[in-house]
Amino acid sequence: MINAEAEQGTLASRAGEVFSRYRDGHTEAMADLVAMLTPILWHTVRAQRLDKESTEDVLQTTWLALVRSAESISDPRAVLQWLIVAARREAWRVMRGQARQVPYEIADDAVATPESEQPDNVVLRGVSESVLWAHVAELPERCRTLLRVIAFADRPDYPELARSLGMPIGSIGPTRGRCLAKLRASLSADARWELR
Amino acid sequence: MNTPGIPAEHLADAPLDTSDAVVLSMLADLYDFIDPVPSDLVDRLQFSITLDALNAELAELQQLPEAELAYRGDQVSAVTTLTFASESLTTMIAISPDGPDRIRLDGWIAPAAEAVVELHQGSLRRQVSADADGRFAFEDVAHGLARFVVTALEPAQHPPVMTPAVEI
Repeated sequence: MINAEAEQGTLASRAGEVFSRYRDGHTEAMADLVAMLTPILWHTVRAQRLDKESTEDVLQTTWLALVRSAESISDPRAVLQWLIVAARREAWRVMRGQARQVPYEIADDAVATPESEQPDNVVLRGVSESVLWAHVAELPERCRTLLRVIAFADRPDYPELARSLGMPIGSIGPTRGRCLAKLRASLSADARWELR
Repeated sequence: MNTPGIPAEHLADAPLDTSDAVVLSMLADLYDFIDPVPSDLVDRLQFSITLDALNAELAELQQLPEAELAYRGDQVSAVTTLTFASESLTTMIAISPDGPDRIRLDGWIAPAAEAVVELHQGSLRRQVSADADGRFAFEDVAHGLARFVVTALEPAQHPPVMTPAVEI
């Protein structure tokens, strides 16, 4: 794995190469693509506050949709963005269905944050992690979603990923953007925060 | 490194730096820790994709590996047999050691039929032919999760049979 990162490019470009290989008839490449992209897709859907079981269903539907639409995707290099958009749409569809079954009202952002994601309920390993988590929890939800997803990709991918998440241009990359700036500012104002 | 007192608006227009990279990589670790991807999810997704693509018949594991851990050492020579059954055929696979940390799979299909047998381990695919007696073998196989896809040559057009993933 010497120079693996330099040779392999970003997550989005590696995914594009593997997907092109799949479209060229190497069906086994799909297994590599699933292994490569399931983490970022998992966090994309979970950031929409879907429960774990439904998230698994959403991911299955999304991957099967990719297999069925494989030939019609105009740019195989954009497969990661395609999957993110498809997964988010499917998550919305599932959530609308669930909302009809179990009506409930979301009063505000704090209430809407799943209990397991409340900072107090998360036992973290180190001080810097608990501090980071506390400040992340203070961010607006759309910022939490953006940072959660891009954290699983590589820097050159950020602008395209932000776009796939429905964020305006300039949300992140090449400049820091407001979400990450907000996090950095609040971290730097916290005396407990010390970058490793 | 930290920039106390600088308002967020100024930070927002500055280029991403190494501290951002550290924060984001910590964030990825955090989310991995708080909300990990279920350990077998990737395998289950790969399975449903393959099943869907092949329009395959799903076989069931009839017999669990006996003493699963027992053949994981090179001192053990016991043979373990797996049996997969589906509507159209039954596949039996005997697992025996094949050198250090490697195994050999000897299989047979009933009713006996010529067939193409694929071994899937992650994205690794190996393909062998089963003879007219339905016998086939894979040599020098690594331990790990594996599944089999059996396509009988007769009758033609019959969907392939796919087994669940088992630890071999």
